Amino acid sequence: MRAWNIGNEMRLDFVKIFIDSTSELIGEMIGPSVSVDSMTMSPSPVAGREVMAIIGLTGEAQGRVIFDMDLFTAVRLAGQMLGEPSPGMTPLVRSSIAELASMAIGRAISQINDEGTRLSMSPPTIITGSNLVSFDQCFETLVAPLSTSFGEVRMNITLQHLD
Amino acid sequence: MQRVCEVMGGAKAALTCLIVDDSAFMRFHLRRMMDSIENVIASEAANGNEAITEYGRLRPDFVLMDIVMPGLEGVETVRRICETDPEARVIMISSVSYKEKVQEALAAGAKCFIPKPVTTKELRDAIDRVLSV
Repeated sequence: MRAWNIGNEMRLDFVKIFIDSTSELIGEMIGPSVSVDSMTMSPSPVAGREVMAIIGLTGEAQGRVIFDMDLFTAVRLAGQMLGEPSPGMTPLVRSSIAELASMAIGRAISQINDEGTRLSMSPPTIITGSNLVSFDQCFETLVAPLSTSFGEVRMNITLQHLD
Repeated sequence: MQRVCEVMGGAKAALTCLIVDDSAFMRFHLRRMMDSIENVIASEAANGNEAITEYGRLRPDFVLMDIVMPGLEGVETVRRICETDPEARVIMISSVSYKEKVQEALAAGAKCFIPKPVTTKELRDAIDRVLSV
């Protein structure tokens, strides 16, 4: 039986694909000024801002990607995607952020599958609120903050190859 | 959109389209693109089961179909639609676009595949292509 163990190695090669795909996609959809600030390893996800998009990953590797950002950034990013400013956290703004995350991860898993590793993704889940810091599992997570012209989007990536 | 008019025998009759995507953003975005194309009336479905029902009810001229959706996902939805109507013109639009998945979608009956994010030109070209089949 396959197991997802603490001791399994993080797939840093795949993590790079996730970060590159996300930077590329945000650049295409929002604007070209995207940069990746210093990445860190954390014993668990550090996501905790007001808007989170979570995508599960299953297949030959398993894990999740959590995007988090503050409300202001989410509303501005969504406004850019929608082509019109939004008054606040509307359902369409939530959906825009979910779709941005979904497109970024979809593009990454397409590359990973084309390179020979079977990986699929869940539809995105969006959570909004404050103090969103509670995770019931602690897995080594790579934290990559992406600077955009609308604010920071932080990626928390946990991806381990299954035994 | 010359081909659209040709298919309709030169008349200005409207084409009908069913947009299937669980994302409200994508349905909004694609509907806006459809609005920019003359003579297309768009309807929407938010998941695979709804799409099958709406397809049977509306028999649209073409369908824009996502893949990753909760419940019945896009490829299986296309398969079921094409079982009942082998002439269905389905354009897959998905960010999940690896070779095997594209082949799976085409084998299920989709007529073409566009990776997200889609541009209006790509969409126009795809619609033109499926209408000419």
